[in-house]
Amino acid sequence: MKLDPAFIWTAFIELLSAIPTTLEIAGVSVLCGILIGTAVALVRIYRVPVLHPIASAYVTFIRGTPMLTHLLLILFGLPMLIDAVAESLGIPFRSVSIPMIGFVYISFSITEGAYMSEVVRSGMLAVNRGQIEAAYAVGMTTPQALRRIVFPQAFAAALPNLSNSAIGMLHATTLAFAASVVDINAKAQIVAATNWKFFEAYLAAALLFWGLTFLIERLTALLEKRINSYNRGGVA
Amino acid sequence: MGTSFDISYVFDYFVKLLPYIRITLTIVGCSLLIGLGIGLLVALPRMYRIPVLQRFSQVYVSFFRGTPILIQLFLFYYGMPEMLKLIHIDVTKVPALYFVIFAYALHTGAFLSESIRGAVGAVDRGQVEAAYAVGMTGYQAFGRIVLPQALGIAIPVFANLVIAVLKDTSLAFSLGIMELTGKSQTLPTMSQHFFEAYLSLALIYFIISIALEKLFFAVERRLLRYEGDRDRDGRAASGRKWLNRRFSGRLELQKEGARP
Repeated sequence: MKLDPAFIWTAFIELLSAIPTTLEIAGVSVLCGILIGTAVALVRIYRVPVLHPIASAYVTFIRGTPMLTHLLLILFGLPMLIDAVAESLGIPFRSVSIPMIGFVYISFSITEGAYMSEVVRSGMLAVNRGQIEAAYAVGMTTPQALRRIVFPQAFAAALPNLSNSAIGMLHATTLAFAASVVDINAKAQIVAATNWKFFEAYLAAALLFWGLTFLIERLTALLEKRINSYNRGGVA
Repeated sequence: MGTSFDISYVFDYFVKLLPYIRITLTIVGCSLLIGLGIGLLVALPRMYRIPVLQRFSQVYVSFFRGTPILIQLFLFYYGMPEMLKLIHIDVTKVPALYFVIFAYALHTGAFLSESIRGAVGAVDRGQVEAAYAVGMTGYQAFGRIVLPQALGIAIPVFANLVIAVLKDTSLAFSLGIMELTGKSQTLPTMSQHFFEAYLSLALIYFIISIALEKLFFAVERRLLRYEGDRDRDGRAASGRKWLNRRFSGRLELQKEGARP
């Protein structure tokens, strides 16, 4: 069997149709991940009594186990839980009516939340303590100080890690095949199944992911320049 | 599904999965060893700015960091036999495990080369100059002064990488390798207690990760024992300190490498 360059192109064009699914999964999980991550980071920074150990355990457990196991646990465990609860409450709703991609969203968001919490935490710890004290000094409340003073600066500090995490999530969407969701990876398998040219199909998929990663990196660089424009070092 | 949760299966599968840790750890160990070699080879042209090779290593690192490991696995699994056939080497009889290890090694090598670059770059330039001042040659300065310090700096990043590789090996099941994940999917086919099997799978990974982290923390403490004050700091607020170092270590990767 010889390498078929023409089929790489054909596969590439076919794979383009799977980009929205991949980006959707990545986008939803990163957004939910940031929300969960911020909540968890705040709980851990402010050492909220009962929630603090739970948050720590959540982060440690998720970061210590592969993402695939989270997906599998959600995929098999959540329907069991939902059905049991629905049955005991007498609701006719059953987990079968939830689309598979819903489980993917839930599982990936939980995973991403743990990783994001570390990103958010390191970003917030990078903000100088004097900043929040100055905010209190001019009469801001804690939520105000966080929203107006800490978060913007933490965002700038966390941006490189944030983009790394987003790229990691983009790459992790390839796991969605385990839940029979057709993303770029699954699409490559389908495209190649007709003529057995798996290598060409996966090469096209690899090039596509490479391009997407490059795009995210460029966008982050642009954003970083914009967001750090206030930071002029000794000039200010 | 259709089966209710039964805790006894978790213990049962936990014990049954234990022997397969060996295969997972084999993949991790082999790919790390080969990856270290590749990483060092790839990092050198970029640290010393060798004209053409520098480009090559840049593209290599960019590709392996810019594509998902799962795609790389399939790429090697389907591509390598065909590529090798072109130079008349028949590998159709070679077990898939070797391709998997090779793919993980190249993947790890790309990440390792970045951490090596970052760690060497993080060693103070004055150290090298001092080594030259006392009459050491370039190799001596690197071997005796830069490398021991770079190792200490690289350990937290390296530890993260090892744990990341451990977690990534869970994907090897997609090529039919019977490691932990692969086994956990075939074990419950009779009983249909999939959830319990995956729970024990997660527990096993978790225990290995924690053990590795503790191990690397001990190694790091030992390697950085000459930096007394830093060590004391680390003990005072271990969690936060570890985190700061971890992230600053990662940020360091974006700077250009050192030229010792």
